[in-house]
Amino acid sequence: MGIKEALKERILFCDGGMGSLLQAGGLQPGELPGTWNITHPEVLVRIHREYLEAGADIVTTNTFGVDSLKYNEHTGFLVEQVVTAAIRNAKNAINQSGKKAYVALDIGPTGKLLKPLGDLAFEEACRIFGQIAAVGQKEGADFVLIETMSDSYEAKAAVLGAKENCCLPVFVTMTFDRQGKLLTGGNPASVVAMLEGLGVDALGINCGLGPVQMKAIAKKLLSVASVPVIVNPNAGLPRSENGQTVYDIDSAQFAAVMKEIALMGAAVVGGCCGTTPEHIRKTVELCRGIKPVPVKPKCRMVVSSFARAVEIGRDPVIIGERINPTGKSKFKQALRDHNLEYILQEGVNQQDSGAHVLDVNVGLPEIDEPSMMEEVVQELQSIIDLPLQIDTSNMEAMERAMRVYNGKPLINSVNGKKESMESVFPLVKKYGGVVVALALDEDGIPETAEGRIKVARKIYETAAEYGIGPENILIDALCMTVSSDSQCAVTTLETLRRVRDELQGKTILGVSNISFGLPLRENINAAFFTMAMQNGLNAAIINPNSEGMMTAYRSFRALMGLDEQCGNYIEAYAAQAAAAKAAKTVRAAETEKNGGSHQQGGLNRGMEVRTGEDTHNGSGFGAALAVSIEKGLKEQAAFVTRELLENRDSMEIINKGIIPALDQVGKGFEAGTVFLPQLLMSAEAAKAAFEVVREKMQESGAEQEKKGQIILATVKGDIHDIGKNIVKVLLENYGYEVIDLGKDVEPALIVSTAQQNHTPLVGLSALMTTTVPSMEETIRRLREQAPWVKVMVGGAVLTKEYADSMGADQYCRDAMASVNYAEKIL
Amino acid sequence: MKQMDAMEEWLEGNGEFPWQDREILRYLGYPQEQKVTEQVMSLIGEGKQELEQAARPRSVWKEYPLRVEGHLLTTACLKTVSKNLEKNLKDCEKVLLFGATLGSQVDRLLQRYARLQMSKAVILQASAAAMLETYCDWQNERLREEYKEKGWYLRPRFSPGYGDFPLECQSSLVSALELSKRIGVTLTDSLLMAPSKSVTAVIGLSKKPRVCTVQGCEVCGKKDCPYRR
Repeated sequence: MGIKEALKERILFCDGGMGSLLQAGGLQPGELPGTWNITHPEVLVRIHREYLEAGADIVTTNTFGVDSLKYNEHTGFLVEQVVTAAIRNAKNAINQSGKKAYVALDIGPTGKLLKPLGDLAFEEACRIFGQIAAVGQKEGADFVLIETMSDSYEAKAAVLGAKENCCLPVFVTMTFDRQGKLLTGGNPASVVAMLEGLGVDALGINCGLGPVQMKAIAKKLLSVASVPVIVNPNAGLPRSENGQTVYDIDSAQFAAVMKEIALMGAAVVGGCCGTTPEHIRKTVELCRGIKPVPVKPKCRMVVSSFARAVEIGRDPVIIGERINPTGKSKFKQALRDHNLEYILQEGVNQQDSGAHVLDVNVGLPEIDEPSMMEEVVQELQSIIDLPLQIDTSNMEAMERAMRVYNGKPLINSVNGKKESMESVFPLVKKYGGVVVALALDEDGIPETAEGRIKVARKIYETAAEYGIGPENILIDALCMTVSSDSQCAVTTLETLRRVRDELQGKTILGVSNISFGLPLRENINAAFFTMAMQNGLNAAIINPNSEGMMTAYRSFRALMGLDEQCGNYIEAYAAQAAAAKAAKTVRAAETEKNGGSHQQGGLNRGMEVRTGEDTHNGSGFGAALAVSIEKGLKEQAAFVTRELLENRDSMEIINKGIIPALDQVGKGFEAGTVFLPQLLMSAEAAKAAFEVVREKMQESGAEQEKKGQIILATVKGDIHDIGKNIVKVLLENYGYEVIDLGKDVEPALIVSTAQQNHTPLVGLSALMTTTVPSMEETIRRLREQAPWVKVMVGGAVLTKEYADSMGADQYCRDAMASVNYAEKIL
Repeated sequence: MKQMDAMEEWLEGNGEFPWQDREILRYLGYPQEQKVTEQVMSLIGEGKQELEQAARPRSVWKEYPLRVEGHLLTTACLKTVSKNLEKNLKDCEKVLLFGATLGSQVDRLLQRYARLQMSKAVILQASAAAMLETYCDWQNERLREEYKEKGWYLRPRFSPGYGDFPLECQSSLVSALELSKRIGVTLTDSLLMAPSKSVTAVIGLSKKPRVCTVQGCEVCGKKDCPYRR
């Protein structure tokens, strides 16, 4: 009987700790534990046997941390040898014991953090884990046990690596802290969503805590998981006594709590650090008679990010629609210019407005959509903790995004056409996800609700053939334009209702379509949105920055008993109401004082600086602009610029307004009267002013000239890029075209980029002594292969002497120094 | 100890973190007594709030015997020759190896602003550094009290990279303390810590109190450092 079948019949017992037993057997600190599989097989067989005799059904191989990062030609022991020996030891122990037991191929974390937070690439991690799994299958392990994972992203890499390299069942246990959080921020609900999406056969928790602290987390896991749950705690909470680790509870207390956990419904129980055969023996004695609680499918529709889970159910979910180039010329330009900051800002704004999920669509005919999609997903998930909706009709883009996504995404979309289902469903099955299913097929969009229900049924049925349940299908009831078909809203609403009532399904709509071609679209959108929610809509793709839509949403929740004591409603609007009241009072007072004349616009601060016109810069021109830039007031700088543009020429504003102000701040910085935060705030204000001028110039067809191209990079091995980013902000301010290659950049990429564009200047940054050699290497290669390039360098550990000895052209002690150098040579 | 109580409360989810504004400003390059603009102070205020949300400070420590043979210092799997560390560990029979971090969410926050608002990124960078120091000081103070009862005196914490204490020792500290597993602190190939706002250190344990202790910043030989106190 395979382990998956065995799990249906009874509770299975895992073995316990290995590390402390190996140390007791003579393993020295600093020695690689995996090597003992080869050098001391008798010790391993003995330990495994002791656990088997204590009643364990599962023998975990001594392969925790056995990966090619630590076991390679440098250490003299290769992964394949060690894993092979470890599985043989486990099997020998089972044979000697005469018991029936399962061999778990243990896979632990690499001890590295994945990019972008660390330096291990996702695909490299997949490869490392895959290698272990492949050997495990070849040598006859019964299943793969991925354990002690405290980062969901690494866990995903391990599951993908395992599943792509073997066909054994895969179990995963994660390590949570006392608050039920992963070290990288996830929680039980987000972890379960991702792991079940990836198709693991069992999941749970191990290490980090004792059984007492694990109980609450186990309970949470059991309440959301639709696969068997594993609980392998440490022997208790450790403390150090005379240099020895001791635990706060003994083996009897351990077993007593494990019994409670088994009664709650855990399917596999065992131990982790500090537990011994004695802990397992007592646990087996207490739990042997417990009948396993059948694992029930929870039928929850959930998407997740690395940090949070969002359930799509009765409480409507807001999906922000703004990351999409359709009909947005600025967005299109940002894509063409590879201006990811623009896209990230759209994401942050929508989160601030209250979106729960962000739709991501970067399709534009002239760009490489798969690469852009992958990059944008990675960038967004490194700064925003909302789940993403991958929105593309390009299958390669969809797969690449799903692969690197750290969680369980929404997928937009599949439809009832055979071809669509055949290409999308296998991806959903492999990577996990909730998929938006458009109720249309080869025959087009059904005109009636009946027709759409029929297509929805077909989609559910086909999905089931792929093993995808209805909890992962979100029916798009389709929203047409009411100005061209006056019945279309009625049809959509009926479809929503019938999916809910007849199919017990969940629905989604792109709400804004309804008002196309009508004036004041928000009126129709908001009304339709409320009606749709009332007819059962579960998720809405809308613009969360639209006040009308969010008002409809918040009001609906307050009215439908979804917002306890109207707390969220009050939180959103109480301050606004108070501010409106206060503004009214102020206005009344001002009107009285000024004898009726009242200044327009919310920028009171703008008024205040304008009074300083005469005192600044001698002449009156651009004084308000200068003050805004020097003080670092972004909105004000843009506002003043817009006003100036009404009767001034663009170039005049740049040359007589923005640039002198920037120079003023730069000089202050060099003289030590202005400090870095101010310098950057001024740069940001100047940038806001530039944006306004640029828009105006674009309208009139003029292009602002770039001064010259500069490549910036933080060198290979260095993942701290703050210095480089500061330099970038300033150089862009001064009109240079900056190609930012990012951090941890291979010398070859810097060289090839310089060659491609015949770039005249390269700026390199290194923070640590350990990464200076790669700076040196980069300079050497540039000299050989791009001899025209001037190189400026900077970074915490560098000095002028150091820079000279490496052959750099210029050492820049700070960001202004790099601007000065660029001004000098370009 | 007001500072201690405030930290305790904040860690339990109440009150404010005991910020030391002067330290934040020092990391930002402001000389003592320098007036700071209202705009910068308000950005610092925002940054502090966001950090209080994002940070999940964690720390671990473990006691090991210390052997000194000639100039070779040996403890756990750490072996090194370092004049500065040797001086720091004078009269010590044992050491505490110590590791702490603010967690990876702080790095994400830093990354967010590095992409979207650099002025705030540098402010967060400085504030997070100050936060980590304050947290380590608090944790060390607790250890000092705990060990005092047993008759031991703690020396100031000393980290790889301080003076001539080789950065390469980072790996031994990280593996001895199992930092990646226990608090999520890892090393890159070039020995940078990830998450970035993390610390490892050696803390000497001695039976003898030390009369005059130079600690922290002033120990360092780099006298021209712009951040020197």
